[in-house]
Amino acid sequence: MTSKGVGNGQKILVVDDEHMSDLMRSVLRRLESDGFRPIVVAPEGPHVSGDDYEAQALFAMEDERPAAVLLDVRFGEYDTDRFKGLSILKKIVDRDSSMPVLMFTQYTHGPYRDTAVMASLNVSSSVDFIDKLASPEEVVLRLRRLIGSAPETIKIGSLFEIDAQNAAVYAIDNGRRDLIREIQGMKLEILNELAAAFFRSEGELVPFSRLERFSEGEDSRASLRVRIRELKVALGNAVSREFGATELIINVRNRGYRLVQPVD
Amino acid sequence: MSDRSSKLLRIGGASLAAIGLVLVLLSPVIGEPISPGSLWWIEPVAYVGAGVFFLGAIASFVSIQLASRREKHGADDRSWSQVTQDYFDTFAHDMGRPLRRILGKQREVRALLNETGETTPRMVTELLDEIEQQAPNFRLMIENVRVLVDLEDEYAQPAVEPVDAAAVILNIADRYLPIARERGLDLVWWCEPGEFGLVYTDASALDHVVTNLVDNATKFADGQIEIRLTRNDAHFLVRVWDDGPGIAESHLVHVFDRGWTPELSARREKQSSGLGLFIASSLSERCGGDLLVESRQSTGDEANDHHTAFTLSLPLDNRPAAAK
Repeated sequence: MTSKGVGNGQKILVVDDEHMSDLMRSVLRRLESDGFRPIVVAPEGPHVSGDDYEAQALFAMEDERPAAVLLDVRFGEYDTDRFKGLSILKKIVDRDSSMPVLMFTQYTHGPYRDTAVMASLNVSSSVDFIDKLASPEEVVLRLRRLIGSAPETIKIGSLFEIDAQNAAVYAIDNGRRDLIREIQGMKLEILNELAAAFFRSEGELVPFSRLERFSEGEDSRASLRVRIRELKVALGNAVSREFGATELIINVRNRGYRLVQPVD
Repeated sequence: MSDRSSKLLRIGGASLAAIGLVLVLLSPVIGEPISPGSLWWIEPVAYVGAGVFFLGAIASFVSIQLASRREKHGADDRSWSQVTQDYFDTFAHDMGRPLRRILGKQREVRALLNETGETTPRMVTELLDEIEQQAPNFRLMIENVRVLVDLEDEYAQPAVEPVDAAAVILNIADRYLPIARERGLDLVWWCEPGEFGLVYTDASALDHVVTNLVDNATKFADGQIEIRLTRNDAHFLVRVWDDGPGIAESHLVHVFDRGWTPELSARREKQSSGLGLFIASSLSERCGGDLLVESRQSTGDEANDHHTAFTLSLPLDNRPAAAK
């Protein structure tokens, strides 16, 4: 689940002639609630064509310097604009090959189309495709991953904040951040690993094989279990709570561990 | 006639013609020692050589004609397939239009209800969820029909490219997490090793097969779904596991049959076209891999570990030998 403010005010350029539709409005709403700033390209005039969108989108690229572009494939009712989005994509990538672009398409994307589009692009470009029927949540998740920059701090619900770069874990209390001193060394490494997976995807678990390198002794699984328990106790103490087996860090059917958002 | 036998005929024909020609040319040399000074033995060798030459030439001609006809026919078929796909794209786009409107209105209603600040009755939320869930159903249905058209094309080849398999699984997990949550299911995924690296496969096919398996799992799981990506020396494996009631052993052999639906088995009755697993299995085979199923049926005993697991196995590198 994406928490509020994950977008950090990053601008997302939205280039879609159906930006006023209910479906697109739900996406724009979701972007805003997740802390992004959608910039909608909306040329004015009696007969707006795909070229108008292209000109304005390229102008906004320079003017607004967005973090990513959300781009539709099909523009207008003119047959010549059927794949206008692909030509806009090409021009965007020509200008800035590292610009993340999420193609918002109404088409099924068969191997022909994907391969054709990808082949026409620079290998370093980060372009992805998503069905227009995708849920707003899925759009934001995909966009966030395409932008790729992991945040400086990862928030676990409203209770904790993990700052991997400065090797610190904080408990949050009414906006105040208190450093949890007990979480250091291997315990911090384990928490970082769990937090990175938590940020990437709500459903991702970290298998034992990846966590056991942060434990020692002959029975590394048992040692890991002890560290996880200590970690939970330290986090719990910091917020005067006790986290049960199905809270915060859970063992998923003996496959690995996973962070889950604590209930406030 | 297959490509292989046509090639054999061409090579055989050409060899026969060459032998025949050599016999004709060498007939004086072969015949002379047998009957010096007479043409008695030279002529038959030359005749045999000429006969062999003509036989070989005819075989070569026939095989070349067959190959050219096949190529022309293949080109027609490919363009037919392309036309079908183009029509299908337009059809899918137009058919999706009313659904996009319905979905948009439903999300608008949800937003308006949220704005009121009052708690929405659970029944209303459930009805809205039901509408929202038709979107992934529609997406998968359209994609299934597109792949079915593609599978009919015997000349179609998998589009092998470097693929970040973990990213494909991650995207599918993203798509199904909200659906699983709404159905009260816990969906988890992981890959081992953590840095999975690239594989050479058909990304679209991989996405499609696993999507079908995960969609299936969300319909039958009791509470848990696991997606696991692993690799060995030659293959990568995607295992989709659910803790559903399982499939009877007598039905297991039929799950990949076209048109087989779970209503035929002891599993709960749900909507199904009976195409998903058939397509998943056919696509896996076309990509040089296979799809296996393993299941344990519920016995009503709580300790019974009832489940169903599908394992897709695909080559790590499915490029043609020349491209490696």
